[in-house]
Amino acid sequence: MTASTNAPVPRTRNLTTAAIFERYGLVIFLCILLVVAALISPPFLQPANLVNVLTIAAPLGMVVVGQTFVILVRGLDLSVASLMATVAVLATAFKATGNDAIPMIFVAAIVFSAIVGLISGWLVTKRNVSPFLATLAMMIILQGVRFAYTGGAPISTLPPGMSFLASGRILGIPVNLITLAILATALGIVLHRSRFGRQIFMVGSNPKAALLNGVPRDRVVILCYVICSICAGIGGLFLLGYVGTVSNWVGQGYELDSIVAAVMGGVALSGGRGNVFAALLGVAVLVVINNLVLLLGFPIEMQLIIKGIIIIGAAAFYRTRLF
Amino acid sequence: MTALIMDLRRNRLLASYVIVGTLFLILVIAGGLLSDRFLTWRNFSNLFQQLIVLGMVSLGQTFVVLMGGIDLAVGALVGALTVFLASFLEWRPDMLWLAIPLSAIIATAIGALNGLMIVVLRVHALIVTLGMGSIIFGATLMYRREPGGSVPNAFADFAYANVGNIPISAIVLVAIFALAGLWLQRTRSGRDIYFAGGDPEAARLNGVHVNKVIILAYAISGLCAAGAAIFLTARTGVGDPRIGAALTLQSITPVVVGGTILAGGRGGVLGTFLGVLLVTTLNNLLNFVNVSSYYQWVIQGLIIIIAVAFNTSGKRR
Repeated sequence: MTASTNAPVPRTRNLTTAAIFERYGLVIFLCILLVVAALISPPFLQPANLVNVLTIAAPLGMVVVGQTFVILVRGLDLSVASLMATVAVLATAFKATGNDAIPMIFVAAIVFSAIVGLISGWLVTKRNVSPFLATLAMMIILQGVRFAYTGGAPISTLPPGMSFLASGRILGIPVNLITLAILATALGIVLHRSRFGRQIFMVGSNPKAALLNGVPRDRVVILCYVICSICAGIGGLFLLGYVGTVSNWVGQGYELDSIVAAVMGGVALSGGRGNVFAALLGVAVLVVINNLVLLLGFPIEMQLIIKGIIIIGAAAFYRTRLF
Repeated sequence: MTALIMDLRRNRLLASYVIVGTLFLILVIAGGLLSDRFLTWRNFSNLFQQLIVLGMVSLGQTFVVLMGGIDLAVGALVGALTVFLASFLEWRPDMLWLAIPLSAIIATAIGALNGLMIVVLRVHALIVTLGMGSIIFGATLMYRREPGGSVPNAFADFAYANVGNIPISAIVLVAIFALAGLWLQRTRSGRDIYFAGGDPEAARLNGVHVNKVIILAYAISGLCAAGAAIFLTARTGVGDPRIGAALTLQSITPVVVGGTILAGGRGGVLGTFLGVLLVTTLNNLLNFVNVSSYYQWVIQGLIIIIAVAFNTSGKRR
């Protein structure tokens, strides 16, 4: 059997209408949203505006790619937002004013994130802590450490190049979108084409069977948490560049938004089923909806209500296809 | 007392209880040594005023967690109910007798709706309550963005009232926990919660209406949130949509520290009570010795990890 046995979507060939709807439902939904948005406000569909919308969504996209890995192995990472802010604070700790510090900042951020991911993964696998509690504890600890370091005050000592990462363009394409595309493609290939990726799906669909088949279950799960944390760390740096100053709450809400987007993209919380690119589509839907609420002239709080309805609705929609 | 002992035996939670209880005693002794204001009636009454809100929400959370679920809507619900109470009482200060049962009914109904959606849509509790929390929070903010409203003096006095030296909040909290414990241990419907949480399929085969139990557990969680909101509104005198935000995750800490496992079916309200005592006393003590609230977060995170990761009796997967 090939890797596609574990793939989330049903096999091609005789696709029924229902199957097509399940597979492309999100794309159809996104198209409908875009048409509605364009009807309400014609400038919405202009490339410039769309690129803007996507640029804002790029850091969230990076987090969602990582979150997908963790959810695939029956996990959940609540610490991503706290990690983003902590990495942002870490970046300012260099007090660097020159661009030559940027590589160092990235290395430090990635190493730090990897350690956080290692700890979460270790707690989940070796100590049998539920992912919810392990990452919740990490979230609170990181928050405490961060506030203790900054004393609660925002900081803004950043190399000027950081804002280029967030809002700069190469050949007219925003740098952070390029980064997101590279990150998603690389990790997508790892997930859907490599042995490690197959092991992730095996562990996610049936941890015991995976172990019996010689898959190093714990190592796979730990690596997923490390990947998720690194994605969140990188996302934090890009968000930092966008915001410009480090408040202690950079990225607040991203932990839940990343889960919402992944669930909308059909990543099953029960593990073993999902796809990085569909999860990114979930991000697009989320962002377009948030935009639409504003375009329609509703108060911004309406976003919360709609987000709530959508996450329950999306989960219910994907739940039905199990039967 | 016998109920408590049975509780300990059946759930093999004695170790957790003894550890948490001992830690609590150590804290109290340390507090007494570190500050002469710590072991005073004044601080005791102050402590219970902090404790009752977290205690009520954690109590509700305990039922849900015993069922193998989780309620992430409680924080938003508490905020919404304080807004409801303060707004209603500002409009009709004389209708306190109506406002309180009304808020309890609304909260119970919202809790039951959470349970109903979990049962009918067959969606993970995390997603349903997360979505519900977002909906409630958004709706509350659309009604009132900033804290506001007012409460009659009689209601405010209730929050600070004492019987002799003992604050009413302490009596109420202990009584409610005792009732909840008795119900869980001594009645059939209470036992069904353990049964359905431990092994839903076996419970179903044995004639337990698992779906009804799930809805009941979430309804109780809603009712407990109403209890917290009533006390909070009486104490602060305003309705604040954001006041419960931190409570959602905070309410889970005492539950797991008290030995109730997230997988469901094991634990109890006594553990939660000890957990609430421990967490609140620790924060209270850290305030006394001037440790910044930032480190209190770090300590809270470490407590969760230590309680869960090094609780060797934890269920292996």
